[in-house]
Amino acid sequence: MVGRVEKTARLIWPVLSLALVLVVLAALLSLGPMPLQRTATEAFIRLIVVIGLYIFIGNSGILSFGHVSFMAIGAYGSALLTIPPNMKKIVLDLPPFLTALQLPTIPAALIAGTLSTVFAFVIGVPLMRLSGISAAMGTFASLAIVYVVISNWKEVTGGASALIGLPVYTDIWVALIYALLALGLAYAYQESRYGRRLRASRENEVAALATGINVRRERLIAFVFSAFIVGFGGVLHAHFIGVLSSSSFYLDVTFITLAMLVIGGMNSLAGAVTGTIVVSVLGELLRLIEAGFDIGTLHLAAPRGLREVGLSFLMLMILLFRPQGLTSGREIAWPLAPKAG
Amino acid sequence: MLATEELSVTYGNILALGGVSLRIEEREIVSVIGPNGAGKSSLLNAIAGVVPVASGSIEFEGQTIAGTAPEELVRLGISLVPEGRHIFGGLTVAENIRIGAVARRDRNAIDGDVERVLAMFPVLRERLRQPAGKLSGGEQQMLAIGRALLARPRLLLIDEPSLGLAPLVVSEVYRAIADLRAEGVTILIVEQSATRALEAADRTYVLASGSIVMAGDAAELRAEEGFEDAYFGYKARDP
Amino acid sequence: MTFVLQNIVDAISLGALYALTALGIGLIFGIMRLINFAHGELIMLGAYALFFTFGMHEAIMGLVAMALVIVAAIVMERVAFRPLRRANPATLLIASFALAYFLQHLVLLIFGARPKSVTFLYELSEYFVVEGLRIPKLQVVTIAITIVLLVGLVVFFRRSSIGTQMRAAAEDFGMARLVGVRANSVIAIAFLLSGVLAGIISLLYVVQTGTLTPRMGVSLVLVAFVATVIGGMGSLVGAAVGGLVVGVLTVALQAVLTVELRPYRDAFVFAVLIGFLLVRPQGLLRGRSARERI
Repeated sequence: MVGRVEKTARLIWPVLSLALVLVVLAALLSLGPMPLQRTATEAFIRLIVVIGLYIFIGNSGILSFGHVSFMAIGAYGSALLTIPPNMKKIVLDLPPFLTALQLPTIPAALIAGTLSTVFAFVIGVPLMRLSGISAAMGTFASLAIVYVVISNWKEVTGGASALIGLPVYTDIWVALIYALLALGLAYAYQESRYGRRLRASRENEVAALATGINVRRERLIAFVFSAFIVGFGGVLHAHFIGVLSSSSFYLDVTFITLAMLVIGGMNSLAGAVTGTIVVSVLGELLRLIEAGFDIGTLHLAAPRGLREVGLSFLMLMILLFRPQGLTSGREIAWPLAPKAG
Repeated sequence: MLATEELSVTYGNILALGGVSLRIEEREIVSVIGPNGAGKSSLLNAIAGVVPVASGSIEFEGQTIAGTAPEELVRLGISLVPEGRHIFGGLTVAENIRIGAVARRDRNAIDGDVERVLAMFPVLRERLRQPAGKLSGGEQQMLAIGRALLARPRLLLIDEPSLGLAPLVVSEVYRAIADLRAEGVTILIVEQSATRALEAADRTYVLASGSIVMAGDAAELRAEEGFEDAYFGYKARDP
Repeated sequence: MTFVLQNIVDAISLGALYALTALGIGLIFGIMRLINFAHGELIMLGAYALFFTFGMHEAIMGLVAMALVIVAAIVMERVAFRPLRRANPATLLIASFALAYFLQHLVLLIFGARPKSVTFLYELSEYFVVEGLRIPKLQVVTIAITIVLLVGLVVFFRRSSIGTQMRAAAEDFGMARLVGVRANSVIAIAFLLSGVLAGIISLLYVVQTGTLTPRMGVSLVLVAFVATVIGGMGSLVGAAVGGLVVGVLTVALQAVLTVELRPYRDAFVFAVLIGFLLVRPQGLLRGRSARERI
């Protein structure tokens, strides 16, 4: 009996411990001033995207530069379904039924997430035939295509001008809840036979194929599933900012989210969470330094742009000193009694 | 000339070589035989600096060399002909031979050495301008040995020279190895097929599961009880 | 007829610029299996060096810019990439990403985000007029420089000892070290060469556009990635050919696409990239061992 309980505890501890950290962080940060809460909310949204990235990259071992396109599709999808019709009439040029359509936020989010998933499936079928650097390049090309389309499709996305009028509902608690869901789903996938098979192919593709694992199919499953999570991240982002512009779904986010994953350690969920927290905290500290502080009547402020310089410098340092990431790709182990064997 | 002391190699958690001590004297031909996965290649790779040494030491002419980069070991006089030959397929045969001399300073002597390699392996002479990728397996093996010789090694490490080659070609390769001994090169050969390696060598070590289980000359080993058992059922057969 | 010829000249000179960028990236990829995102920032640094030295003699401006870019390329390798040589490819890639960001924002910190303008070698923006065809001198110079550099590189790789070593290292890095090729030298020289190429692009680019921003290198580098894939990853001739093809493709699309579709031009270019990955993953010219790492 005790053995069973311990076994279960051992199984869920890696994800439970991460969830607890997130809940405690959210509880503490929700007491802080509004700007801090907003930073925390943004970090939780980023975390959802990073977890999505981890589901694919961590388990398959293939880099993807394309996931931010799923974020974009989720964001714009949900925007089109939730912006009030009279607003849509002014800024966009949609088919009448789409203009008239206004859904409650949750169904809109689900449809938008599904849209990302379908898109991932469509591009995933050909792209998952590729491996290694070719797959990374292919996903990047798909990101570039989505970006070009979103930046220019005035009728649907507003093109170069920002899309406004989205209901804003993402606060720190909403973001936390979805982050916890993403965490749970990612862990469930990782421990499922699908996740195990894919990780086997990550360690040794030839051996995995030889034991009858359909590597291409397993990759596609992870790709599509991760797209759903990342798409949701996009939805939450959209309803956090309330304004969408295509430039916020391109290289910058791609870089920062990938960096979070790699810095934390791309082979574990703990790595995804650690990387996101560490990079977010460093970014916030640098922002505070950049904003400056008062000593008596003297206002000291660092020059603008210091934050990005500092952040990229620190990230480079972490990579140089911990090339395997902060967690070295390990999960958080059950702390009581050393594991046998 | 070369001595390893309790040499271990690990890949992650897997122990590939667990405390191997062996010695090679100047002008000796020593072979290491053993079944697949016994750690033979790990031994050569550790000596040549390709894989890091987990513990133990390697001494070459009285100098500790564990941890030295492969390109520096070549300059000390150790050359490896790796398993699978690894010739540069996009370079011509001539370029492949000459690149073996990269580490040398005596530029003037190189042409003469190229001639000697071509005399040893005449088939290569006809193909000097061709991309090395077009050569047959046996020719590639000769090219790989010739390339290593251009560094004028004092210790030559050869990993599975007969792997995947027809018997006649294997004979030719071993004839070349015998010639090298006459020139005073010290040689360490690793082989899975025991007979050739036993015949060619002055002394032989038998490696199994990362440890040396037997050592001696060919006659001694053959006479020894359980020699075949060391192969876990693998019969010492020549192709 | 004039229209077609004009477009051909445009296509070749744009392709030449892309080819040079792709070569710089292909060189490093060939030897280290690293896609160096920060290559674009080398180009950007050179352009800002021209801005910084503006007013001096143009020869000095050019030399300073070239020197800065080459030094930056070598320092980049020494400080950021050498310690990571044994790290997994993802780490290496993200490090190059981080480096690119660092350099962009460093320049932004110093010079500000607003575009700067520089006049450099103004004479090159004049035209040759031949039979009604207006050919900018710059295009002629760009094509000439590209040809000279390509020939120079081919001779270097075929004839020189270090060139042969680099080809060997690009093919099988581990074996190259086993025959005595010094990893550090070969990689350092690859970065030096990529610095030379980036420096020359800085100069050509500034002559052409006259404006600089901290992010100016990004789009060039992205195009160069497409070029290296199309040409065949790991093949230098492939990178050059790929650059030319992308240049021609871009100009052709610009000419062929309707006004409504023209803004989507780059999407078509990237679609061609995906097509190549799927149908001809080895590229136009077979690149070697593109699958080895990552």
